[in-house]
Amino acid sequence: MVLSMNCEEFESIGLDAVSGKTTLSERTAALEHAEKCVKCAALVDSWESARAELVMFAEATETTQAPARVQMRLLQELRAQKRPHELYRRTGMIASWGLAAAALIVVGITWMNWRKGAEHPLVVKNSRALTASKSTSAEQAALVTDEDSGSFTPLPGALPIANEDDSIYQVRMQRASLSALGLPVSGESAADWVNVDLLVSDDGTPQGVRLHQDASDSGTL
Amino acid sequence: MKVPDERDDVLLRRAAKGDESAFLALYRRHQGSLYRYALRMTGSLWAAEEIVQEVFMTLIRQPKKYDSERGEVGAFLFGVTRNRVMKHLERAPREVPLNPQTNSGTAHEPVDLLTPAFWAERKERIEQVRDAVLSLPAEFREAVVLCELEELSYEEAAQKSGCPIGTIRSRLHRGRALLMARLELLRDAPRRASAGGTD
Repeated sequence: MVLSMNCEEFESIGLDAVSGKTTLSERTAALEHAEKCVKCAALVDSWESARAELVMFAEATETTQAPARVQMRLLQELRAQKRPHELYRRTGMIASWGLAAAALIVVGITWMNWRKGAEHPLVVKNSRALTASKSTSAEQAALVTDEDSGSFTPLPGALPIANEDDSIYQVRMQRASLSALGLPVSGESAADWVNVDLLVSDDGTPQGVRLHQDASDSGTL
Repeated sequence: MKVPDERDDVLLRRAAKGDESAFLALYRRHQGSLYRYALRMTGSLWAAEEIVQEVFMTLIRQPKKYDSERGEVGAFLFGVTRNRVMKHLERAPREVPLNPQTNSGTAHEPVDLLTPAFWAERKERIEQVRDAVLSLPAEFREAVVLCELEELSYEEAAQKSGCPIGTIRSRLHRGRALLMARLELLRDAPRRASAGGTD
């Protein structure tokens, strides 16, 4: 079916129709109207000329490219951007390897300490005390202090490293009470009173024990 | 390294990591159309070159500005180019190039089979058309460039311009009318001049 078109409609879609941007029936109607209407025919002529010139202009610029120097500048910028990235990557890699090595060392040392602690739960530093201990009770481990160095004997389960925040409490107690701290106490001297220095961590957990000179003379707890 | 068939977003990801071949593939794929659009809109080789360079610099420096959920890389690049072009036109609406410019030096001229006079006339006419296009207000010019020079459909042109199809139609309608009037004027000018000269 062929549509008929008036001047108003032609003005609206006529040029698109002539350019082939509408349906075939609209194009036919537009061309038919242009044949009859002088004003619209002049418009078509004018547009055809303009369009031909636009096509000529489009063709003259259709293969236009950005100059090669643009590509060169962009590549320079890309390389400049890439450099810090590589540096960060390399630094990051070194840092992560360093951290991994440090972590391994820490784990190794911890494991070794743990093994050591498991093999020797009580530290016996005083050979004199050790002898005395052997003489009184062979199966009990000796718990004495080293008066020369003034160091504490760590309690079972205590952390091996002493903290600066730890406090020392001077306590007078019966030897039997020391068993509550997980220390072995011999039966004969359980009722004896002894002066003891208790090393207590900042959270209140006893970390170590040191017998006073007079108490340690007896050799065992 | 295989590059030509890869998708734009894949190339962009690789380029962001510093892959030069990926960046070059992306650049070569899009620079022509962006440069032509910028050149036809600004009428300045210098401006078109600057704009294309800035667009790709943005891609190098801030590749994360591209959001794949919002569209293709090509559309993103065109959007950035269009913004730059519009800013350029706002900044220098009356900028007149010092030297008459035709097509870029890198364009391929057709083989001269006809007379030199024909080509001289053709070249002159092309310059007149270029001037006529550049004389249009920016929004009408854009509609003419996209629909008539780039030969995009109304839908594509509307998408690229970020406006409804009706707006593009209306702009093109008015742009065509202005362009025809301007070209008629330029076409008649030599005739008027020669007529005036003989009087």
